[in-house]
Amino acid sequence: MNYLYFWYIDILAKHNIPEIFGDITFPILPFCIIAAAIILVVLFLVLLERKILALFTQRKGPNRVGLWGLLQTCADAIKLLTKQNVDIKGSDRFLFNVAPIVVFVPAMLLWGLIPYSSEFEFMGFSVTIILFIAIASLPVIGIILAGYASNNKYSLIGAIRSAAQIISYELPMTFVILSIVLLASSMNLKDIVLAQISVPPVLGWFAIPCFIGFIIMFICAVAELNRCPFDLPEAESELVAGYNTEYSGMRFALFFLGEYTMLFVMCLFMATIFFGGFLPLTGKYISEMCFTNSEFLQVFIYFEQAIWLFLKTLILVVLVMLVRASYPRLNSASLMKFSWKFLLPLSILNFIVIMIFKYIQDGGAI
Amino acid sequence: MIKRFFIDTYNLLLGLFTVFKHSFKKRVTEEYPEHKPELTKRFRGKHKWDANKCCACKSCEKVCPAGAITVDKSEQGLSFKIDLKKCIFCGNCMYYCPKNAINMTENFELATDKKDDLIIAINSFNSDTDSNIIENE
Repeated sequence: MNYLYFWYIDILAKHNIPEIFGDITFPILPFCIIAAAIILVVLFLVLLERKILALFTQRKGPNRVGLWGLLQTCADAIKLLTKQNVDIKGSDRFLFNVAPIVVFVPAMLLWGLIPYSSEFEFMGFSVTIILFIAIASLPVIGIILAGYASNNKYSLIGAIRSAAQIISYELPMTFVILSIVLLASSMNLKDIVLAQISVPPVLGWFAIPCFIGFIIMFICAVAELNRCPFDLPEAESELVAGYNTEYSGMRFALFFLGEYTMLFVMCLFMATIFFGGFLPLTGKYISEMCFTNSEFLQVFIYFEQAIWLFLKTLILVVLVMLVRASYPRLNSASLMKFSWKFLLPLSILNFIVIMIFKYIQDGGAI
Repeated sequence: MIKRFFIDTYNLLLGLFTVFKHSFKKRVTEEYPEHKPELTKRFRGKHKWDANKCCACKSCEKVCPAGAITVDKSEQGLSFKIDLKKCIFCGNCMYYCPKNAINMTENFELATDKKDDLIIAINSFNSDTDSNIIENE
């Protein structure tokens, strides 16, 4: 982050602009980077999801627009942008307009918390993981608002279901994150990543002592994202489309964008806390082997770290899509039962096991 | 209960693996306008009528359940008229024809802009038509 800041100040200094202006306007730069990255990643993710679902069901997927259908999602986005924004009779106009923003903005904020490389994080302070949990549960407010403001029973039922689901799956997830905090002895995401460094490269990952925790976290993440098999809030056969039934055009696009942004950022988060984040699989950085004498070696290493993180994230995203392709939807009662009667006790048990593991690892010292 | 848990977990993993295996199989999607689908041997598409073989026995007219076929024999020659809007492509006309004058081709692309295009009238004597066989186009 400091590199970006000094680079920006340098450029301003060349044009004789005072440094105080740079200090004030600097936050715009990370915002622009995140916004551009979100648009690109979501366009890519939607296409990837359609292609991968097609792969798992022996179809070809979109292949008409552009080369191999690469421009399909761009065409969809243009279609959504040009659609009419319908105002609903009897709806709460203000809340109806605010709800998509409340869903999308937290998802965008979360991107700033992830450490992309050892020097590049947008918000670096000591308790990023707590902030992550707090912000990740915010979109439910937007969903409730959307359901309430739509003046539609399907929207309201979808929103209530979504709220109940997200709240009940938040608890096991928090217990798993607690056990990770215990393992790393830190609440900073970067420190958690650095705690996973080990000499044989993969063995230090927290997914190995906390494997059950990873499974619980994965299930909870899928449930929080309202994806198959936990897509009850958007169950087509029961509720038309859940909380976004009445939305169209750009407002719907914001919901859609928020959903896929959350998917990617959740996978980023899981890759960070369980699979060593930006640490390489090979143990030593590949750019360290290739460009030994380059003066930009450090920059190359930062980029390589980001690439490792994105690779791990992509594998998790594909796993989420595989789950979507495989399983049918749960019913509402068994969804709650599964969380409160099975996942929550298991996560507490996992927490206790991790505690004992950490106690033994530290040689009995507290 | 523990046994049940392991059985359930095994089944879930088996489901994931089964779906994953599909990604190595051949795609079933047919890209229609570029690649025509492979039709079966006895596919019943658009009719083909051979005026030289036809003896105007009118058995096709009688067996047609939809009443789509009209065959006329005048002094000038034979005329055959089929209404593809009514036709249900049962193939009875083909099976009952004693001289094998009616055949069904593999052409199934019958969509047109006008309804009248689907009524096909063909004469053995009309000089406008190049051949006296109902061809695909």
